[in-house]
Amino acid sequence: MRFTDLMQLVISNLRRMVGRVVFTALGVVIGTGAIVILISLGAGLQSSLTSSLESFGAINQITVFSGGGGPQGGSDQALDARAIREFQSIPGVEAVTPRVSIGGTYQLNRLQGGATTYGIAPLAADDLGLAVERGTNRLSRGTIVVGPKVAEQFFDPRRPQTEIEPPDLFGQTLLLQLSRFDPETGAQEDRTVRLRVGGVLEETGGETDFNVYMALDDVEELTAWQQNGVSPRWEQEGYPTLIVITQLDPAIVQSVEGQIADQGYFAFSIGSSLQGLNTFFLIVQAALGGIGAIALLVAAIGIGNTMVMSVMERTREIGLMKAVGAHNRDVLTVFVVEAGIIGVLGGIVGVIAGWLLSLIINVVALAYISAQTAAQGGADPGIDRIAYTPLWLVFFAIGFAFLIGLIAGIFPALRAVQLDPVRALKYE
Amino acid sequence: MAFIEVTDISRRFVMGDTVVKALDGVDLQVERGEFLCLMGPSGSGKSTLLNLLGGLDTPTSGLIRVGGDNIAELDENGLADYRRKRVGFIFQSFNLLPTMTALQNVEYPMIFAGLPPAERQQRAAQLLTAVGLGDRLDHKPTELSGGQQQRVAVARSLVNQPDILLGDEPTGNLDTKTGEEILTMLTSLNQGGQTIILVTHDPRVTKHASRTVHMLDGHIVGEE
Repeated sequence: MRFTDLMQLVISNLRRMVGRVVFTALGVVIGTGAIVILISLGAGLQSSLTSSLESFGAINQITVFSGGGGPQGGSDQALDARAIREFQSIPGVEAVTPRVSIGGTYQLNRLQGGATTYGIAPLAADDLGLAVERGTNRLSRGTIVVGPKVAEQFFDPRRPQTEIEPPDLFGQTLLLQLSRFDPETGAQEDRTVRLRVGGVLEETGGETDFNVYMALDDVEELTAWQQNGVSPRWEQEGYPTLIVITQLDPAIVQSVEGQIADQGYFAFSIGSSLQGLNTFFLIVQAALGGIGAIALLVAAIGIGNTMVMSVMERTREIGLMKAVGAHNRDVLTVFVVEAGIIGVLGGIVGVIAGWLLSLIINVVALAYISAQTAAQGGADPGIDRIAYTPLWLVFFAIGFAFLIGLIAGIFPALRAVQLDPVRALKYE
Repeated sequence: MAFIEVTDISRRFVMGDTVVKALDGVDLQVERGEFLCLMGPSGSGKSTLLNLLGGLDTPTSGLIRVGGDNIAELDENGLADYRRKRVGFIFQSFNLLPTMTALQNVEYPMIFAGLPPAERQQRAAQLLTAVGLGDRLDHKPTELSGGQQQRVAVARSLVNQPDILLGDEPTGNLDTKTGEEILTMLTSLNQGGQTIILVTHDPRVTKHASRTVHMLDGHIVGEE
């Protein structure tokens, strides 16, 4: 039997019982729609959380802290020059840079502003993904690179409640206010450091937007001053934090992070947290999809029922098929494919319905959320969608509905095959 | 050796506790080109014999040779192939598919033979024209009279150029005049060399036959 003939036969058979097909397919519509909408909700939640996690930092950066609770501990585990060399030799590692923070507030004319200041290796900015909007990201002595949101943190200390226009920091000289305390007398001593803004970073939506970056040597010198002239000797005794930059592959990030942790350091990366989150959401989606699958299972029973009825009503036709020489395989195929087509039709409509419903959920829920947060005076939560229908889900849901239909058709089709042609031809 | 050789066949049906012997040791020879009538009252086993000859049923014991092949030992696929290639059926109740046109009904067996659509349509139209329905190709069975429907069925039975044309009371649902037309058509087919075996209890049918076999209680009781 030719494929086109099979399809023509199946379609003309289904058209004969169009009312019943519609009602049976409705069950599949509900089941498939439920699968699509539930998995879309799971996927939407995942993508919201993933994007908000990603905004915390690049996913290929591993932050290594010293003094972590590794099994060995002790001075062996210092993040010193030797550790840097060791990390650099791990396959998949692109670069390693120390990152050291220093406290202090900035002053520009009469304005004051706060930002976390990090000292990094002078040429590490590119490795860290710190691209500049204006100027350069190369750090020389006495210069800093600021995040795009740093300017917004400036305020007028005489009128702290008043909002001011954020100053343009590029090319300006900022005054960094530092202080130290005499270990014996406890007297406070202040120091002002003049720093020129050599570059403004591109906005990433992450934490780097709020940071100030300074050359590591500057930070070391200033730290020595803060410690009353005692050099921190980071290179020998270990930096507080190292950033390990790996190739952009979650598996590599995870493997490098594991090797560092095995050496007794405390390592953390957004990438591997994402990996864990993805696993979690896979389970969530499977569970949600399972709930939808139950609805589809009920629909499958409906298909089976419709096909059993259809086989009974078409007993004579089946007898005729056999009398004119149709093989059992042909009879089986016709009925199984009829059931499969009911599944596919329901699946297609169900996917469209589920997708439309998830669009409606997005509009309604997002309006509700932003109304709520606005009423409470909160900031925009930054969620752009609640439900998200990935393309694979569309094909999976339709394919699954087809498969369910085929399976539901097997039993009725076998009954058709087993009919005795002599009796079937005389069936009233 | 005759074209059809039925040797000592029996067909028993188990109905609850009792065994019904529908056929009990029947022998029959049919030559190519014969027009044979199986006559007898209901329950005589004539339809059972016809179904066995058509490969719709298998005997409990015995041999059925058609052109030398024993069809009694064919499996289901073998029987399906036998029905498709060597047998054509006409039924008392026509058994046309109500949603299909006359042309599609005649095409139907060729679908399972896997013939391409153009060839099917051409052959179906040819046969329908031959049975006098050339102007009714696109009519559905409900738009045709009983005689016309049975002519569609005759055309359908001939599409695969069968060795044997089998009919179970083909005029049973028709009035005398229309039935006579169908029989005349079958007679002319027979004159063209078509082997025909009909089951009937109507003596008027036997006038068209070249031979009539009388059956009673699962046995052949006479021949004329």
